Amino acid sequence: MEQAWLIPLYGLIAFVVLALFRGFLPWQGKHLSVLAAAVAFITVWPVLFDMVRQGVGLYRYPKEWFTAGDLSVGWGIMVDPLTVVMLALVTFVALAVQVYSLGYMRHHGADDPRIGWYYAVHSLFAASMLVLVLADNLLLLYVGWELVGLCSYLLIGFWYERPSAAEAAKKAFITTRVGDVGLLIGIVLLVVEFGTFDIGTILAGVTAGDANGTVVTASAFLIFLGAMGKSAQFPLHVWLPDAMEGPTPVSALIHAATMVVAGVFLVARLFPLFDAVGSVQVAIAAVGIVTVFVGASLALVETDLKRILAYSTISHLGFMMLALGAGSLTAAIFHLLTHGIAKAMLFLCAGAVMHAMNDQTDIRKMGGLRKRMPVTAAAFTVGALALSGIPPLSAFWSKDEILVAVAGGLHPAFLVLLLIAIGLSALYMARALRLVFFGELSRENEGVREGPLVMGGTLAVLGALTVVIGVIALPLPGGYDGIGSFLYDAVGGAHGFELNVVWAAVGTALAVGGLGAGWWLYDRRPDVVAAVQTRFAGVHRVLVEHFYIDAAYQWTIDRVILRVSGALALFDRLVVNDRGVNGTGLAVVEAGRRLRYHVTGVFADYGMAMVAGVGVVAVLLWLQA
Amino acid sequence: MSFFERHILETLIYLPMLTAAVLVALPFGARAAARWLSVASGLALLVGSLYVFFVFDRSVDGFQLVRVLPWFDPLGIDFRLGVDGVAVLMVLLTGIVAFAGTIIAANVERETKSYYVLLFILIAGVYGTFVSIDLFFFFFFYELAIVPMYLLIGVWGSSTKFKTFDRPKEYGAMKLVLMIVAASLLVWVAIIVMYNEAGLGTFSIPALSEFALSGGEGGGPGFSPEFQRVVFPLVMVGFGLLAGLWPLHTWSPDGHVAAPTTVSMLHAGVLMKLGAFGIIRVGMLLLPEGMQDWALVLFILGTVNVIYGAISAMAQTDLKYVVGYSSVSHMGYVLMGIATMDPVGITGAALQMFSHGVMTALFFAVVGAIYERTHTRDIFVLNGLASRMGWITAFFVIAGLTSLGLPGLSGFIAELLVFIGAFRTQPILGVLGVIGALLTAVYILRLVGRVFYGERSGEWDGVRDLSAREGFAMGVLVVPIVVVGVYPGPFLDVIAPGVDLVLAALGA
Repeated sequence: MEQAWLIPLYGLIAFVVLALFRGFLPWQGKHLSVLAAAVAFITVWPVLFDMVRQGVGLYRYPKEWFTAGDLSVGWGIMVDPLTVVMLALVTFVALAVQVYSLGYMRHHGADDPRIGWYYAVHSLFAASMLVLVLADNLLLLYVGWELVGLCSYLLIGFWYERPSAAEAAKKAFITTRVGDVGLLIGIVLLVVEFGTFDIGTILAGVTAGDANGTVVTASAFLIFLGAMGKSAQFPLHVWLPDAMEGPTPVSALIHAATMVVAGVFLVARLFPLFDAVGSVQVAIAAVGIVTVFVGASLALVETDLKRILAYSTISHLGFMMLALGAGSLTAAIFHLLTHGIAKAMLFLCAGAVMHAMNDQTDIRKMGGLRKRMPVTAAAFTVGALALSGIPPLSAFWSKDEILVAVAGGLHPAFLVLLLIAIGLSALYMARALRLVFFGELSRENEGVREGPLVMGGTLAVLGALTVVIGVIALPLPGGYDGIGSFLYDAVGGAHGFELNVVWAAVGTALAVGGLGAGWWLYDRRPDVVAAVQTRFAGVHRVLVEHFYIDAAYQWTIDRVILRVSGALALFDRLVVNDRGVNGTGLAVVEAGRRLRYHVTGVFADYGMAMVAGVGVVAVLLWLQA
Repeated sequence: MSFFERHILETLIYLPMLTAAVLVALPFGARAAARWLSVASGLALLVGSLYVFFVFDRSVDGFQLVRVLPWFDPLGIDFRLGVDGVAVLMVLLTGIVAFAGTIIAANVERETKSYYVLLFILIAGVYGTFVSIDLFFFFFFYELAIVPMYLLIGVWGSSTKFKTFDRPKEYGAMKLVLMIVAASLLVWVAIIVMYNEAGLGTFSIPALSEFALSGGEGGGPGFSPEFQRVVFPLVMVGFGLLAGLWPLHTWSPDGHVAAPTTVSMLHAGVLMKLGAFGIIRVGMLLLPEGMQDWALVLFILGTVNVIYGAISAMAQTDLKYVVGYSSVSHMGYVLMGIATMDPVGITGAALQMFSHGVMTALFFAVVGAIYERTHTRDIFVLNGLASRMGWITAFFVIAGLTSLGLPGLSGFIAELLVFIGAFRTQPILGVLGVIGALLTAVYILRLVGRVFYGERSGEWDGVRDLSAREGFAMGVLVVPIVVVGVYPGPFLDVIAPGVDLVLAALGA
């Protein structure tokens, strides 16, 4: 199992080679990156089997990194079921997306001119994300955390000639950095308290309860702030829709399946810390459910296909946080897994559509595409049904888990809201599905065709996986007792897996209801939709403006931050420099100018001055005597 | 001690002086020869600095490679050389920046030879300050490093015109030199009164530090607490000014902007470190109780530096001014780290001195390259450079990521250690420090977005990317950034004995 440390290494090597030598490699070395991703994916399996065979548990391989003053820092890895699940998801989706990109990043028979750089950053991303999930100490985790943020920045801004892409990249990095301020302070507080970065030691200390309560509470809240930024939780979610400026495979990998779930992973990794602080648990659940509604409601009015999926991602990340707030690590991680695969597939479907339609993302220009793109349409349908929670597709199982957890662990109000949200999720999925793939094919889209085989093939694999992945919820031959006990046994105190027939039925009914309602509205009665929009024009406006959150941030930046910095810069120039520094200089000059008149050159003046001086000295001496 | 070990430190001072002398002797117009000689000398300095770095024994506290040549007995002044851990790192920094700087300086077309002569006098002064452990020569070299600045900026510098006011290069040169010289007077006063107060009849730093630890009557601390309390501010302000201590920082942006590229690299990269180094060497080592009395003030001022510098940088419209203010901000971390008086915090401060030195040299090298090509530094004029100048963009982004504290690059480790030290002592100020890192991300990414990203405009169609020579020089600077970021162990091990020395003085 120790070979797990190799998994991130392949991507890192590929990154270094591509970053430095891509200009000398055939195809700019893109196949090297895919190869690295494939090898990483293969390397995960022995780790997984070892875990099942040797017994589920926590395996640690610490290594010394450096010592500074009285503080020693490691870069060891830890492998537990949580790690294994993440490793499998990350390497699989990374591989799928890189293979898909072989086709997607080619237009008219030519690769994107910067294809080597694209794959270099993909490799670095995979390596960083894997470091993040393997890290056995908070510093290494933070290293991975920041590096995935960097890769996200670089890939969102991959087409940096587009001002909107450049802007979106900056927005994503800085918004998540706001959360990272909290994360870093939280980590440093824990390190100062426990004298180590080691996650195991810190969590043991927290569980033992011999730490300063204020510090633990403060760091739990601050670390959650970091998780909110990365996992696009309200009110730090604003960067994720804009991040859709990046190439669509990037959205699938980074902004749906892997990096954005890092916040969920972080809370899961440090679960005992959050478990120890009741107030932060409630906060997590509250932030989660608000995020669910913000995402779902905005997805309902959005007309850009990728942004619909982005808002849906935000909403589902909210589901995961809600589950963590309810104390169910199992439900959160299981949903992370099922959502990751399904949502990556949906994004890749969107990519296939864009590839075929000359980067068109406006769903009002689509419709009836299933006639021209059957594979994509089928995959999208599977994904949409899965995320709505239709059995036996993947997310049905995890959504049921979340329902059970929330019903058992939180105030009933959360449960009511969750049930509404499930209906709403199905509703917006039905809308997207209907408007893009069903209905009449417009005349401009007659020429639309499926993309190359690598794209369709990837979709088929992901689709098949979405259909069958649910079985990992159940016990399998070979010593595996289902995802519940797999995750549950390692993290004592978390919620185990239990399929509750009642909740499964309720959830399914809501999903079917939501889908049916959506289909009815957008297929049969678009007039009702229009009527509702007119009737509630104010509400519609607020939604179209994303609750004015972006506008408020922009206002704060323009009117407060930039003005303050401008004023400070002016203060620095006028007061500190022109008054303080130049003023001092001018005062000296002025003193010289005035004293100059006393340098008369007249001998008698000097004589008088001398006499006066002697007189003063004499008086002083006399006084002293 | 082997022959090399005995002579290496003085060689680092003699070699640049000798180079300067040979350059003077070269006939006029021998420009190519002057360039080759300078670069060769720069390389030799780098090799010598690396030798010091590797030969330094990390397991021994105290000064090493000590060499004493009697100079003026009546006053007890000796030419006394030696290095502790922090000094070793500074020597290495000087070697790296000097080598990269001499390569970049080959771009200078006007009076190339004289430029190099002054540059090497400057380098000799910098080396001398870092390796002198006699207060007299410490101060002598300190001043030696400042004098050439006036000519270098005044003759080879560049003026900046803003919409409403101008910043002529003569102004920048004058302000920089006057302010630093004025501040060094405070240091000189402090040195003289310490010399008198100790009454040992020597300027030797080891002897004075011995005295400060236990040399007083009855074995107590040498300098009385009252004396230390009064003298320490002289040291703090005198050296602090060179480190960009707020509100005495204004020479720094104006001076660095006016200076030619290599001078900015050396000055912001290395000379500013002299200030922080002086506070550690003279302030903490000789006046530990004064340090304790004034630590909070230094801490607060350092934090102001971080935030104030970052916010000011955000509002700048000139590329070089942004970098200039970012130096003010980043030197604040050094001051904060020193003020923690915590082993981790001081280690972080020392590493930050190194990291910031290399990073800011890279920044100035890149900005200089852009200015040479486009003849503007206005961030509202420059745009879309990435599609024209891939390498320039890459180097700028690396420097930028270092400055915003991206893990894997040197700035992260240094700042993290400063934060840990800060949270152990003054958590509130620590929070402000972390927020400073966020502000850095804002102004750096704003620059990247404005200057490098964006549509390819026809305006910059004709400009070339870096030449191989320039690329090599910048690559020399990137190596330590990455090495420290990924494998900081050897650097921290070198710092450790130096920090132990200071901690022993502080009684921690």
